[in-house]
Amino acid sequence: MVEALRDALAIALRSDPTVFLLGEDLGVSGGFGGGFTVTLGLSEEFGHDRVMDTPISGAAIVGAAVGAAMTGMRPVAEMQYGDFVFCAMDAVVNQAAKMCCMSAGQVRVPLVLRLPVGASNRGAQHGQCPEAYFLHTPGLKVVCPSTPADAKGLLLASIRDDNPVIFLEHKLLYGGKGSRKEKASLDVTGDVPEGDYEVPLGTVAVRRQGTDLTILANMLMVHRALAAAEELAREGIEAEVIDVRCLAPLDEDSLRTSAMKTGRILIVEEDTRTGGWGAEVAARLAESAFDFLDAPIQRLAAPDAPLPCALALERAYVPSVAQVLDAARRLVRE
Amino acid sequence: MITRIVVPDVGATGAEMRVVRWLAKEGDRVEAGAPLFRLETDKAVQDIEAFRAGYLRTILAPADTVVEVGAVVALLTDTADESLQETAGTPRSTAPAREQGAPPSRIPASLPLSAPRNPEAPPTRDSLLGLYRRMVLIRRFEDYLYRLFLQGQVPGTLHQCQGQEAVAVGVCAALRPDDVIFSTHRPVGHLLAKGASLPAVAAEIWGKATGCAGGKGGQMHLMDLSVGAYPSNAIVGANIPIATGAALGFRLRGLDRVAVSFFGDGACNTGTFHEGINLASVKDAPVIFVCENNLYAASTHVELAMRVRDIADRAAAYGIPGEVVDGMDVLAVYRAAATALARARAGQGPTLLECKTYRYPGHSRGDPGNYRPREELETWRKRDPIDRCRRLLAQEFHQPEAELDEVEAACQAEVEAAVRFALDSPDPDPAACGEHIYAGKVRE
Repeated sequence: MVEALRDALAIALRSDPTVFLLGEDLGVSGGFGGGFTVTLGLSEEFGHDRVMDTPISGAAIVGAAVGAAMTGMRPVAEMQYGDFVFCAMDAVVNQAAKMCCMSAGQVRVPLVLRLPVGASNRGAQHGQCPEAYFLHTPGLKVVCPSTPADAKGLLLASIRDDNPVIFLEHKLLYGGKGSRKEKASLDVTGDVPEGDYEVPLGTVAVRRQGTDLTILANMLMVHRALAAAEELAREGIEAEVIDVRCLAPLDEDSLRTSAMKTGRILIVEEDTRTGGWGAEVAARLAESAFDFLDAPIQRLAAPDAPLPCALALERAYVPSVAQVLDAARRLVRE
Repeated sequence: MITRIVVPDVGATGAEMRVVRWLAKEGDRVEAGAPLFRLETDKAVQDIEAFRAGYLRTILAPADTVVEVGAVVALLTDTADESLQETAGTPRSTAPAREQGAPPSRIPASLPLSAPRNPEAPPTRDSLLGLYRRMVLIRRFEDYLYRLFLQGQVPGTLHQCQGQEAVAVGVCAALRPDDVIFSTHRPVGHLLAKGASLPAVAAEIWGKATGCAGGKGGQMHLMDLSVGAYPSNAIVGANIPIATGAALGFRLRGLDRVAVSFFGDGACNTGTFHEGINLASVKDAPVIFVCENNLYAASTHVELAMRVRDIADRAAAYGIPGEVVDGMDVLAVYRAAATALARARAGQGPTLLECKTYRYPGHSRGDPGNYRPREELETWRKRDPIDRCRRLLAQEFHQPEAELDEVEAACQAEVEAAVRFALDSPDPDPAACGEHIYAGKVRE
């Protein structure tokens, strides 16, 4: 996914002079290329102004992105780890999200905030999945791809959207090469179309058709759901797996259509259970598809606890394929 | 004419408001602005002034009466002996009182702020008049708003800037229309100094559809993009990195436009002050940081909030120039701003200007400012920026007093017309709640 994201950034930088990147360690020559090598090499082609290195100043990174976006630029800011976004929450929630509305549409904030998220054996302040905070904030769009092809197309669409977009990138889906590759990386590969293309925001993707239950998942959990679906098929259970790659705006119609088809919904999410994105989706489907449900909507989420570091704990904390299988079987039997 | 004195909405949150005692007796003549009665709320004890002159004829809520917002507590009349009986056709002052019609002014209402290009050059009479007029407009509008607030006519809250006009006007006079400003919860002075539409500002304060933000922003989020005034910010310190970002965008595009961040002494202790100025310094961003140090952040004196006396000293920590400026001298502010602008436009980076100033009113509506010594207010009033400018015009440029009076009258007329426009404007449609959450469509 790293290469796909880098490709998207390069295309955006090449095609639009108002696009620029800002964040820590993005463009330093001989450096990292951002937290996870996504911006590696871009400063060579685009220079150190358009690939702008900042001090460790989360609030100023996002605040400056807001100011630049309000006055005609399209900044793409990066938090080195998604958890650090909380240092900048005023800029995200009180500034970026509210400016368009407070100005009755006269001001736009076309920024993208890229957040590397997901448990990766670094502990509680380096692995949270924070999408629920942004789903709850009117004025933000929330994007969370699970494949390289989606990542490239969604990032290009996000950069070109005139709204502030929170763009979540799961660390274990980066893949990538060399010494900065994550140990537990999934190395997701797949065809990534060449050239400039967009995947529209406000859409979901049906990754696997099925009839017995619908599994809604995002990012890494999509892949665990698909692995579970393969095993379930051997047991005669056909799971439909939907990749909720955009949480806001949410394609509720597609989710409802699937609910009407299967009558059983299992949400698999890596964020913590209470007030997680699954809670919102479950509430909406309970409102709109109640008559079609044969069982209560189920959520499989991380427990309501900060992320532990020890691998033995992390493996119990983040929903696993085994846990998905377990939940799916119980749901189907209900 | 009978004038009703009402209990204004001073923003009390608790249950009881009480008239403590009256500061004038029945039969007394009171001047406009004279304290009439003492009001106690759960937040403060404050003296409520008469918003216009008259004879205090009847006290309807004597001492120790519990009252509520909007209650009529007394009646004033214009003359000592006119009847208190209302007859059909007797004007009731529920609408804002109309002042005497202003005589036509020989000084054009739209006198532009044409300040000299060279900040070291002495000002011309016309440029000084322009500065004077702009400050008077701000003062007249804020004072008029306050009188209306006392009558219970202003919805929402107010954060007023009387006393601080020279900072707004001095800085904005040096700016081009395509330079941008980012203001605060106390935005009226900055907006009007930049040239924002007064009727649209008034309508926004009244929450009307014709407001500069369609009623969606409110008093703390005034804006006028046509003059480069972006929505003002109610989060203390938040506009500092935002202004830095705007400046970075200008520099990246090779533009010589400049961004200005206005903030108070309170903002200087926020994290975004540090982060925003530091980022601007290492990137040579074309931005001017203008601190209006009025000695108080809400009720907290600067000496309780920081160890340094001059905020400008903090500029050294970022390797940028910092200057202490007499914020009551509009020409001093203008010169400092023009110098900082020249630096920024030449690619030499940001400047921190600390303008020493004072706000006559409390922090917000209903704040009587009991945490400030009365003598302090009087001392600063003696250095009033508008009086100072007027003296300069009269003495150095021999501007006839009568003509200066005409400026005042013209501004008053403009202010009243703007408020009439606001009052006559419609409320926004409730459907507006759900509008502009997202901006438009994806760009093709």
